[in-house]
Amino acid sequence: MRAGRPDIPALVAGLALLALGGVLLLNALDAIDLGFGLFAPLACAATGAILLANGLSRSG
Amino acid sequence: MRRDRSGGWIGGVCAGIARRYGIDPALVRLAFVVATAAGGFGIALYALAWLVMPAGEARPRRRLATGRGAIEVAFGTVLLLISALLALRATGIWFSDAIVWPLVLIAGGGVLIWRGSATAAPAPAEAPTAPLVRGEPEPRERPRLTRAAAAISRTGLGIALVIAAGVAFLQSTDALSAARDVILAVVAVVVVLGAIFAPWIVRLVRSLTEERAERIRSQERAEVAAHLHDSVLQTLALVQRRSTDPQEVAALARRQERELRAWLSERPAPGKAATLTPALEAAAAEVEERHGVPVEVVVVGERDLDPALEALVAAAREAMTNAAKFGAGSPVDVYAESNSGAVRVFVRDRGPGFDPAALPPDRHGVRESIVGRMERHGGRARISSDPDTGTEVELELPTRPDR
Repeated sequence: MRAGRPDIPALVAGLALLALGGVLLLNALDAIDLGFGLFAPLACAATGAILLANGLSRSG
Repeated sequence: MRRDRSGGWIGGVCAGIARRYGIDPALVRLAFVVATAAGGFGIALYALAWLVMPAGEARPRRRLATGRGAIEVAFGTVLLLISALLALRATGIWFSDAIVWPLVLIAGGGVLIWRGSATAAPAPAEAPTAPLVRGEPEPRERPRLTRAAAAISRTGLGIALVIAAGVAFLQSTDALSAARDVILAVVAVVVVLGAIFAPWIVRLVRSLTEERAERIRSQERAEVAAHLHDSVLQTLALVQRRSTDPQEVAALARRQERELRAWLSERPAPGKAATLTPALEAAAAEVEERHGVPVEVVVVGERDLDPALEALVAAAREAMTNAAKFGAGSPVDVYAESNSGAVRVFVRDRGPGFDPAALPPDRHGVRESIVGRMERHGGRARISSDPDTGTEVELELPTRPDR
């Protein structure tokens, strides 16, 4: 099997979703208090990272 | 990663980062401004990057994102900035809502206005090259209009952001009620003046637009004429001269057909050089092959070709052709130098010389293919000819900072 280059946009999207899922899980377990002040920057950062990785991958 | 001082405003940090990752420098600058407005981090980060990044002209590893990629990069960067701002605000590293948010809006609006004005104003080297067919719409007109519309919408959004920033600042400092009377008075005056002068303004704008379109069409016709003169007309003249050799005539026709097809489909000609030296050497080799006269080329300095430099090479090629045709078989010397201010090319022969002012009006070689072509691309051509010393054509093209 040939080892190809990693798909960076997919990798970034996966990591961003993992991070969001982790935070939501911690909130469900009452480990953190997930209010708007914490969730809004996280959601923005995840979406921004995915868009940036996609855009940069398009530019080659 | 290196600082790009030639394209930078202060130390070239933002331009260097943008060049390395193929993103718009305005976005990187916006990020630093926002980071400065939020908690003052931007200044510290910039100073650190200035210290760490060496200066130099590194080649970009990525090309600048365009189309959908550019939109995604822009939105991604803006979202990351908003995320950082919200995080800083939540952690208390924050000046004040009344200051930071208006500053962020002003910075974003300023970037959009700056980009809009940069896109709307064409560079002096941006000269049309597409062919025109009588009665059909200009092929380059649609992209140009689309670019202008995008620039106007960007500028409009930028102005709206800046106005929103002003209103938000006035609102947060309770100064809006005091400013309302003044704003109302200004709006009333603008509406009255607009109603009075609107017809003249509309007519002026239309007249300017028509004049600009006519200028573009005239430049396109001149470009087409110069190209046809340099390629098809010269090949036809050679075909007449070598009509006794059918194989050579066929080879000339094939080469001309390839070149013409590439030009019509706006793709690079086969074997086209990417930098100045090989392009001049290729032009010299072609003239040597066609006219059997030695052409010596010396180039000092190197530059990537852009449309203006391609025009310079085409003008130099035409000067070499003239020297080979009318230089009485004397060798042709070509010297080119490229420095930070300009690119200069000198083409010299030791032939009998001629009087440039006495050229008949129907001869396009010197007038359009050399002098006119250089002027259309922001450069100049100077011809000095003497029966004793021969003819020298000097071509000069000022360099833009981004060239």
